[in-house]
Amino acid sequence: MLSDPIVALATPPGRSALAVVRVSGTGAFDVVAKVIVPPAGGPNWLGAIPRRATLGAFVAPDGRQIDRGIYIAFPGPHSYTGDDLIELTCHGGSVVPTQLMSALISAGARLAEPGEFTRRAVLNGKLDLVQAEAVGDLIDARAPAQATAALHQLEGGMSARIEELREQLMDVQSLLSYEVDFPEEDDPPIPRERIRSKIHGVTGVVTQLLATAPAGERLREGALVVLVGRPNVGKSSLFNALLGIERAIVTEVPGTTRDAIEAWTEFEGWPIRLADTAGLRVSEDPVEQLGIEVSRRYMHSAEVVLLCAEADRPLTAEEVEVVRTKEAVLARTKADQVAPSNETAIEGTLVSVVTGQGLAHVKALIVSRAYGAQNQGRYALDLEPVLLRERHRVALSHARDQLLEAGTFLAEEGDPVLAAHHVRGAMIALEEMIGIVDVEDLLDRIFRTFCVGK
Amino acid sequence: MVDFDVIVVGGGHAGTEASALASRCGARTLLLTQNLETIGQMSCNPAIGGIAKGTVVREVDALGGIMGRATDLARIQFRMLNRSKGPAVWSPRAQCDRGLYRRAVRMLLEQHADLRFAQGTVSRFQFKDGRVTGVETLDGRQYRARAIVLTAGTFLRGRIHMGLETQIPAGRAGDSPSVELAQNLATYGLTVERFKTGTPPRIDGRSVRLDRLPRQDGDEDPYWFSYFGRVDHPKQMPCYLTTTGPELREIIERHLRESALYGGAISGRGPRYCPSIEDKIVRFPNAERHQVFLEPEGLDTHEMYVNGLSTSLPPHVQLEYLRSVSGLEQVEMTRPGYAIEYDYFPPTQLESTLQVKHVPGLFFAGQINGTTGYEEAAGQGVIAGINAAAHVFDRDPLVLRRDEAFIGVLIDDLVSRGVDEPYRLFTSRAEFRLLLRQDNALRRLLPTAERLGLLNESERGLAYGRLEAEEVILKRAQLTKILPIRVESLLERLGSAPIDEPVRIAELVRRPGLHLVDLFECLGERIDEATADWAEIEIKYSGYLERERDSANRLSRMNEFELPDWLNYPVLASLSYEAREKLNRVRPGNLGQAGRIPGVSPSDLQALVLEVMRGRPRREGACFT
Repeated sequence: MLSDPIVALATPPGRSALAVVRVSGTGAFDVVAKVIVPPAGGPNWLGAIPRRATLGAFVAPDGRQIDRGIYIAFPGPHSYTGDDLIELTCHGGSVVPTQLMSALISAGARLAEPGEFTRRAVLNGKLDLVQAEAVGDLIDARAPAQATAALHQLEGGMSARIEELREQLMDVQSLLSYEVDFPEEDDPPIPRERIRSKIHGVTGVVTQLLATAPAGERLREGALVVLVGRPNVGKSSLFNALLGIERAIVTEVPGTTRDAIEAWTEFEGWPIRLADTAGLRVSEDPVEQLGIEVSRRYMHSAEVVLLCAEADRPLTAEEVEVVRTKEAVLARTKADQVAPSNETAIEGTLVSVVTGQGLAHVKALIVSRAYGAQNQGRYALDLEPVLLRERHRVALSHARDQLLEAGTFLAEEGDPVLAAHHVRGAMIALEEMIGIVDVEDLLDRIFRTFCVGK
Repeated sequence: MVDFDVIVVGGGHAGTEASALASRCGARTLLLTQNLETIGQMSCNPAIGGIAKGTVVREVDALGGIMGRATDLARIQFRMLNRSKGPAVWSPRAQCDRGLYRRAVRMLLEQHADLRFAQGTVSRFQFKDGRVTGVETLDGRQYRARAIVLTAGTFLRGRIHMGLETQIPAGRAGDSPSVELAQNLATYGLTVERFKTGTPPRIDGRSVRLDRLPRQDGDEDPYWFSYFGRVDHPKQMPCYLTTTGPELREIIERHLRESALYGGAISGRGPRYCPSIEDKIVRFPNAERHQVFLEPEGLDTHEMYVNGLSTSLPPHVQLEYLRSVSGLEQVEMTRPGYAIEYDYFPPTQLESTLQVKHVPGLFFAGQINGTTGYEEAAGQGVIAGINAAAHVFDRDPLVLRRDEAFIGVLIDDLVSRGVDEPYRLFTSRAEFRLLLRQDNALRRLLPTAERLGLLNESERGLAYGRLEAEEVILKRAQLTKILPIRVESLLERLGSAPIDEPVRIAELVRRPGLHLVDLFECLGERIDEATADWAEIEIKYSGYLERERDSANRLSRMNEFELPDWLNYPVLASLSYEAREKLNRVRPGNLGQAGRIPGVSPSDLQALVLEVMRGRPRREGACFT
């Protein structure tokens, strides 16, 4: 059913001081009323005191008390889902929240599907599609920068931008319609240049947004930073030091690392996928050969190559080549073994896993290579909206194609009807992105999401 | 007591088409009107067609209506508007001789054997068990019928305004309004509102310095609105252009308070796209000049229609401002312009069939539904006439889709969106304007006309002959290759790249500026231009047309999702408050209509689908998450 009462534990299960249980849907207050003993003198109907913390007893169906806790009622539409919603805070742990959930289910609520609260928020128009996606991203964020981008999107940064573009295209449509529907009026025909420059402006913004797609994807997935170098230069030691844990095996034997090892971390709040790889050298060992092949592939898809070379020797031709052709950060390892007098002559950042020298600098260099422009103002809230999802990129790139097509019909002799046709195509693409969708897609989505009719 | 199947009340552009179509459907039909002499009267400008409207005329014609044929018989000037823009929006428009037009309409109606005429003013409708059973006239005559089409135009409590002093109850200058019927209708619980519209003064052409004004002649190409026969056109006449200047602005500003509109005498809302001259002056203070078209009223009169200067100012001010216009310094006014206020019924009270909701057998068409324009009225008349007959014979009603006809767009807009100013069609109202063209109206609607049996044998022959001739041209363009030497000079003249090997005509005609007629002429062959239009557009627009047909099919799936009567909108908590209120007022028939109601968002639609699914009787095994 559409808005039947659903219940879910909003906090993670396990030992904790408090746990929050949420109930939402038509009749949610009636369901919860069966589980709550309100304070003496309090009103019977929960919605009577909206948005105020109240202390009450939570009871099982047999009348036995489960806990005493706080509850807050949010009558719809002023709630997260848009339906009546109530939050109950009880003590945490493995027993009390479970008992409270069972009591609510006995009282008539149903266990919510994953994401169902947010889905209802979308259905009730509380969030648009882009914002709903951001809720998921915010929850899943593992690095502060990811959370910042998601929050920005949730706050409507992207939606507002798209809405603005749509408004501008609406203007263009009206100019084209004037030309078609109102010939022979007092005002002369609209100069094509005026329409062209408007379309050009929108195309520019769309292109800018599209240009953020790689950065957005990087922000979502984490930038891939690959440690490469000759065997035994200390890649695995550096890898462990950067992660802050002993993740890779380190020995004195060259070629210890055979396969690539990937680990997730964050540098200065930015998400990073750090990969340690087998050292590059000519080897007879078939296993090591395969490992080297893997290293090359990693290096190829890396966003940043962290090239490691000992500080006390000159770079090889191959290493120079990597620095020259790749987005690379050069780490000169084993810096603790170099005489301080030689340090200034060495190219790259001197690092030592023994003293910790240079580690912070390497991280900073990696972040600035991987997140360049976005890093300028750190991850402040005025971060420009970035495209975080493939769905958004597809919609915008379709919009841009349509606008470019439209432009071809805006030469002096061009057909305004076809120009309008393409502008409309672009508008639809933008609308689909924020969820003002064609009903065909809408039906499709409904039938995909909900099992109906059989 | 006389018995009919269908009674049409009103003889304007909606009423005449409704009468013709009901009778073509086999219904014994009565056209009942206040004055049989004014059947088919053009109350405002003496022209038929225009942007989108011209396409409607062709749709009316394809369905067996009379407007196209009458226009061909009465046209004294023809122009294809938007010729310089894409062929999808070419719009035929004809100046007509008012008298010839009226007589043509009457003559065409008289050819319908099952159609009778009567003169009388209807005072009330008769009902039994909630169904209409007939009408009664002021003089006490009663006519019985199973369906009634009301096409009262601006006559329901019509009131003419000229300045603040003069207010005349009238349906049109010189004709009395219907007051009793309006009062009678008010008792049925229908919501009534007021609109206003206006008409400009008319002048004696002999008092105009026509020799000093730019003259606008019609196109020379032969063109007929009707698919059914090519009658001889009367002698063709020019229009003349002039412009207003600062002196007119000064006069209007000085007398503004005397205008019925600005003096507060009129409360109804008027159309934004057809403003009075005082509106233009007030709303566009920076515009120095306004265009004025002097249009001939007919072949046998010197009277001219002053298009662009409609007004509600008193007659003496009208004369004063007319004389400030270049070329009109000595002008004599034959009739003053006026504003008219009238009742209309907000059309969201209608089904898509144009039947009044919950009143079986009562249909409304034309200006009483809040539209303006002869063509809009005619289009509704056709549908109301067909559906009145369908009601009588218990057949399926006709509802044209939005991708099928401008008439479909028009009626769907009316019943699902309603109106807040007098409604006029524009091509931009259609989602699929590449599909809704003047050249393919017959092709779009012939299957419907055939299914309903709207055409007689000779008309069917002409219709199929026309479509076949169009297809032959398309086929030949696709198959015929043209030698470089034949098109050399044509391409050079157009600045188009030369060809160095034989190229198919269909290939070549895609180039801008090239037309089938010219290419076939290079082969020494003359083809009919009107017949070639369709083939040429199909070729030039081919990719676009396919895509539009695709999206149209997608839209029609939405329209197939019906919204059942049991939906109780006010209690659907999953819908926004605005959507609940609007949906409850309009009660759309399907999801497509619901989506076109302003204020109903996609998330409302999604919720609506789920409500319908939820409410349907569930079969075993059905599940919902």
